[in-house]
Amino acid sequence: MPSGSRRRVDRLTVASVAAALALVALTRPVFAHGGSLGQAARDSISVPTWLVLLTGGAAVGASFLLASFATDRAFVASLHEARPVSVPGRDAGATLLGVVGVAGLAFVLAVGFAGPQRPAISNAAVTVVWAGWWAGFAMSTYLAGNAWPALNPWRTLTELLPRVGRRYDWRLGAWPSVAGLLALIWLEVVSPLADRPRLLATTVLAYSVVTVAGAVVYGPSQWFEQADPVARVFRYYGAVAPVGVVDGRLVVRLPGAGLTDDVVDGFDEVAFVVALLWVTTFDGLVTTPAWRGLADWFVGRGLPPVVLYPLALAAGFAFFLAVYVAAARRARRTAESYVTALTLARRFAPSLLAIAAGYHVAHFLGYFLTLSPALVATVTAPLSTLSPSVIVLPEWFGLVAIAGVLGGHVVAIAAAHATAFDLFPGRLQAIRSQYPFIVAMIFYTVVSLWVVTRPEVTPPYI
Amino acid sequence: MSRTDLPTDHDGDPAATCEYCGRPFTHEQYLVLHRGVAHDGEITDEEREAYERASEREDEALRRFRLKALAALVALYFGFLMLYAVVTG
Repeated sequence: MPSGSRRRVDRLTVASVAAALALVALTRPVFAHGGSLGQAARDSISVPTWLVLLTGGAAVGASFLLASFATDRAFVASLHEARPVSVPGRDAGATLLGVVGVAGLAFVLAVGFAGPQRPAISNAAVTVVWAGWWAGFAMSTYLAGNAWPALNPWRTLTELLPRVGRRYDWRLGAWPSVAGLLALIWLEVVSPLADRPRLLATTVLAYSVVTVAGAVVYGPSQWFEQADPVARVFRYYGAVAPVGVVDGRLVVRLPGAGLTDDVVDGFDEVAFVVALLWVTTFDGLVTTPAWRGLADWFVGRGLPPVVLYPLALAAGFAFFLAVYVAAARRARRTAESYVTALTLARRFAPSLLAIAAGYHVAHFLGYFLTLSPALVATVTAPLSTLSPSVIVLPEWFGLVAIAGVLGGHVVAIAAAHATAFDLFPGRLQAIRSQYPFIVAMIFYTVVSLWVVTRPEVTPPYI
Repeated sequence: MSRTDLPTDHDGDPAATCEYCGRPFTHEQYLVLHRGVAHDGEITDEEREAYERASEREDEALRRFRLKALAALVALYFGFLMLYAVVTG
């Protein structure tokens, strides 16, 4: 087989993709502020927005062109191998994590209700939930591996409880978790969850009641595999990670290698992936002046402010999903294939998870680092009112955020490429099948970049 | 690689159908490639020869595609270089 030399060429291609992207990142400091947090970074933008958006879109398109140079089937497949590893004491570690999870939940509830209420940052419930869990732990699920099944306190608790054993209605599929995810994000946006420890603890309690009830009625495995949005978010993020579980065995693989597996099962699960991508965008969208203008317009036309956010959340999600479905339908034609559009939608959806993870890094790594001293200080002294210090991130930190966004895209494009090679017999056909998906990815990137380059204002009507 | 178990749908008769796994294809050429990729151990010598010829033709098409991709990359690069020079200059 002549693949020896071809393989070398392909390695070279991969290296040049990485180099080119690094170059884009370094020579375009403006774009660097794309994913970063804070007003200071936004103020320093000296290039018009349209050019920032154009550059972001072009970076995605260029990475696709570079990826299309890798056409050796053996090489493409080798990028996605998973090697099983055995870890001594895995069960004991999982048990320990379960204990930590339950203790953490009890701690959050106790400190949320009984701990200091002002300033909110001195309350350990707030720092544990937002910095420790939603930023820190969530990052670990895609950067390392998903430990949530072991850590999940509700799962640990309900494994011990008796169960009713009702069968989950399979027609519902992932839809309850899609609704749950959108509802959680709505709550996060419209309520001062990060400023009122007691409100946060009440929310955690309410979530606990629903989750425990659901898991008792349907059994923990059905509940956490199907209906629970949080478990699904972490499971999907975990597919991006270099460590994963395949058939009960721990495996190590390249980041994103798990995304070519059949991880998304039906249209309902495709919808969840798109919802995950959409909510990272929505989070930032509501703080833009454009949103404020739009909200004023709608409320001025008589729309009740209460329905404004749920409506926007649902409408934007429907739009993102429509774009993706259109891409899948179109891919059937560009690939000249009889494979159903649903199958294409299912198989290419996991690559979007890498993009979602990239945006999560861009949004939350800085947040996590900034609040990490507060996290440590409040957890070690949960009942005293402190004014914990925060880390002020240096100016260049924006580059780390951009590396997250770009890294997510590179992984996503590599995963889509390998998926296409898995699906189609023709190599050129496999490349062509990706065109519509790349267009969709460029659309998502441009929208997200537009959102993060807007000045930040307080969301109206909440 | 080139799956044999994918759900498919089509109006009317497919242009070609795999005798080994029943997967339908829009062109005979895709079937020829599919046989070589998915049924490596089972196919006849003629089918293998046909696969190798189709692969070579595909190599040729891929080479042309790469040239176009390279041209697009160069155009992108210099396009942006000039755009940035004009806008920020």
